[in-house]
Amino acid sequence: MSGRRWLPWAVVLPIVGLDLFICVRNPGDLDRLLINMILALSAFVTLHAKLLSLANAGFMAIGAYASAIISIKLGLPIAVSIPAAVLLCAGVALVIGMPVLKLKDVYLAICTLGFGEMVRVLIILTPDLTGGSTGANLSTGFPYEAMKQTRTWMLGVLLALLAYLFWALSRSRIGRAFRALRENPQAASTMGIDIVAYRRFAFVLSAMIAGVAGAFYAHSVGSLDNGDFKFNRALDILSYAVLGGSGQWFGSILGGGFLTALPILLREVLGASVGFLKNFAQLPNIINGLALLLVVIFLPGGLASVFGAGRKRPGPAAAGPVRELPDPDKATAPSEAPLLVLEDVSRHFGGLEALGKVGFRMQEGLIYGLIGPNGAGKTTLINLVSGLFPPSSGRILWLGREIQQRPAHRIARAGIARTFQNIQLFREMTVLENVIVGRHTHIRTSLLSTLLRLPREGREERSARADALALLERLGLAELAGQRAGNLSYGDQRRVEIARALAMHPRLLLLDEPAAGMNEIETRKLGAFILELKKHGYTLLIVEHHMDLIMKICDEIVVLNFGRKIAQGTPAAVSRDEQVLEAYLGRD
Amino acid sequence: MAALLEVRDLEVRYGSIEAVCGLSFTVQAGQVVSIIGANGAGKSSTLLALSGLVRPSGGSVVFQGEDITGLRADRIVRSGLVQVPEGRAILNPLTVDENLELGGWIRKDQRAVRASMEQVYALFPGLAGRRRQLAGSLSGGEQQMLAIGRALMAEPRLLLLDEPSMGLAPLLVKTIFDTIAAITRAGTTVLLVEQNARQALRISDQTIVLAHGRIFREGPSAELLADPVIIEAFLGKA
Repeated sequence: MSGRRWLPWAVVLPIVGLDLFICVRNPGDLDRLLINMILALSAFVTLHAKLLSLANAGFMAIGAYASAIISIKLGLPIAVSIPAAVLLCAGVALVIGMPVLKLKDVYLAICTLGFGEMVRVLIILTPDLTGGSTGANLSTGFPYEAMKQTRTWMLGVLLALLAYLFWALSRSRIGRAFRALRENPQAASTMGIDIVAYRRFAFVLSAMIAGVAGAFYAHSVGSLDNGDFKFNRALDILSYAVLGGSGQWFGSILGGGFLTALPILLREVLGASVGFLKNFAQLPNIINGLALLLVVIFLPGGLASVFGAGRKRPGPAAAGPVRELPDPDKATAPSEAPLLVLEDVSRHFGGLEALGKVGFRMQEGLIYGLIGPNGAGKTTLINLVSGLFPPSSGRILWLGREIQQRPAHRIARAGIARTFQNIQLFREMTVLENVIVGRHTHIRTSLLSTLLRLPREGREERSARADALALLERLGLAELAGQRAGNLSYGDQRRVEIARALAMHPRLLLLDEPAAGMNEIETRKLGAFILELKKHGYTLLIVEHHMDLIMKICDEIVVLNFGRKIAQGTPAAVSRDEQVLEAYLGRD
Repeated sequence: MAALLEVRDLEVRYGSIEAVCGLSFTVQAGQVVSIIGANGAGKSSTLLALSGLVRPSGGSVVFQGEDITGLRADRIVRSGLVQVPEGRAILNPLTVDENLELGGWIRKDQRAVRASMEQVYALFPGLAGRRRQLAGSLSGGEQQMLAIGRALMAEPRLLLLDEPSMGLAPLLVKTIFDTIAAITRAGTTVLLVEQNARQALRISDQTIVLAHGRIFREGPSAELLADPVIIEAFLGKA
């Protein structure tokens, strides 16, 4: 690794050099450079949230036209017109985000592309207001056309502010939540992260950034042409962020800078000196395409990924003394109602009945086992309780309240945590970060304190970190804290999942085959740990095939077969039950 | 007689983690060799390096006298070394039949492929009734059988099994180990990674015990089954 320390600099220095060259040689292009860098950030936001949106050109157009109309027709200064245009973009993004963000991948791309075209058609159809297809009546009278230097300074400050915003967000719980949901939205939602809200936030923020870039674009060009906001523009903006990489924000600035400066350089240096190259008007495009292709092939993570290799992972150094296990959060007063009740819960997948009229109740502080042959519906039941999908019929009561229609993140916040049979860690994040994501809903900070980096922000982060480290230590994983989670062995990954779920301090912990991939000794240790959890007041529901574990630690066992409950009772009673022996345990 | 598989000084790293550090062992044709060890001891990594799914960072793998170190996974399968992956890796949207057909992808003689398919269904009667069913709708135990059956379709000389009993109900665990015994009786050599150390020791001829990426103990399984250290560390009191 150390041999490649030059790599980041070998990538960054030429780009910065290129950009500086443009600044000095051709100050006229500086505005364009800065605007494209800002546009690159707008594409980064959506890409980072795993939204393949091509709406940026549309929002850029809205920002451009709205600010121009307000400034020229109403005669208001840009201090009013630009913020107003940005707010308009935010409002439009909120409205169209509602239906559009339900779509995924290519479908989202097509829909947002349609949105961009719609904006353009609206512009063409309203010539009185926008100048229509020619932009005629918005071609003069830009109040700040003459203030070239001021405008460039403002753009510089704006880019710096945005860079700070991204830097602060990326280090906060919000940035961590984005990283988590982009890797595994399902797991993120069971950590209490409202993935719909986060996606909406990303879409709106992206629209606002594109809007402000568009507004400055209008004022710096000094005339408007709807042709500037076509499909190509959307692709250009996306390519800045793709080149930069969707993982880290500064990559997009580099990407935007590179793809803007390169054609300018080619025009300046080549175009002027070598006459015959003038015949190749498309040359800059070809070279840009080539550069993009090379980066995608050789740096699949984008330009920013060159920093990833050398980046120091947070080490386990800060581990404190081994602390007591955390107690479950019992914010709601102890109630008379049982902790969890299932009433005639059924779930169908197409014509297949995965679960049929299953009912049982759980008292707080006990350990429940859920056993049955493979395919009996055990994982389906866990998925229903944790809110990944609702039951087809029946009720699930948590402390007496119906929760069967609640989404996963609200169930997580109510105090139900889970692990997954097929491990669902955030594989690219470190072990420690995974567990800190479990603390997400407990970290009490506001957007303001994140942006201003108030002392409280640091305090909350440090205490979440310490909590997470203490949990890792209790599970014997402290040494692995700084490792990429995906690198761990199967059994270790299972324990990280348990630590991550415990970080939520849940009242009910659902474990789906926690001992799969563990040997007998490790299984026994896990059993001791689960009993310790019980002592601390946790309630557990455990799906497991290791019968010695189940029989030893459970207070009560529910047995499923073909989606039906066939037995329930103490381990002793269940292990003598004729039906259970027949269907599951076998006789010998 | 030359060994079927000869592994020398095998190393596997993931970033800064050294998962396998200089592992050497041989597998003789016709044997069942099991690898046991704690979590993170390097068992799965060893299998992945043998089958080419992970590139070894050092050492050599010689299979049937041919150096296959660092070859692509598909080339290794063609040479007769086939892995059943941990977690089964069944092709969910395909039918049981199609999964098996793909297992025989590298074979030319379609009639022989059909015959192998019938043999697989004979070995796993539970799958025979579900030939047109989507693999994703099978239960965990049936998926594991399908994964083994799919690997057998390639007519392996050496079959690598990574935790075949994981996540299976007690009744099925017994079935799976019976099946492995049947496969070896039919002449296929098996290298088995298992957490269920007791069962692994019972059905294998030789056992390798890994700890921290190195060999901790190795020898005939019958001897290790009686070794107090192994009993203490992996089996517990019966």
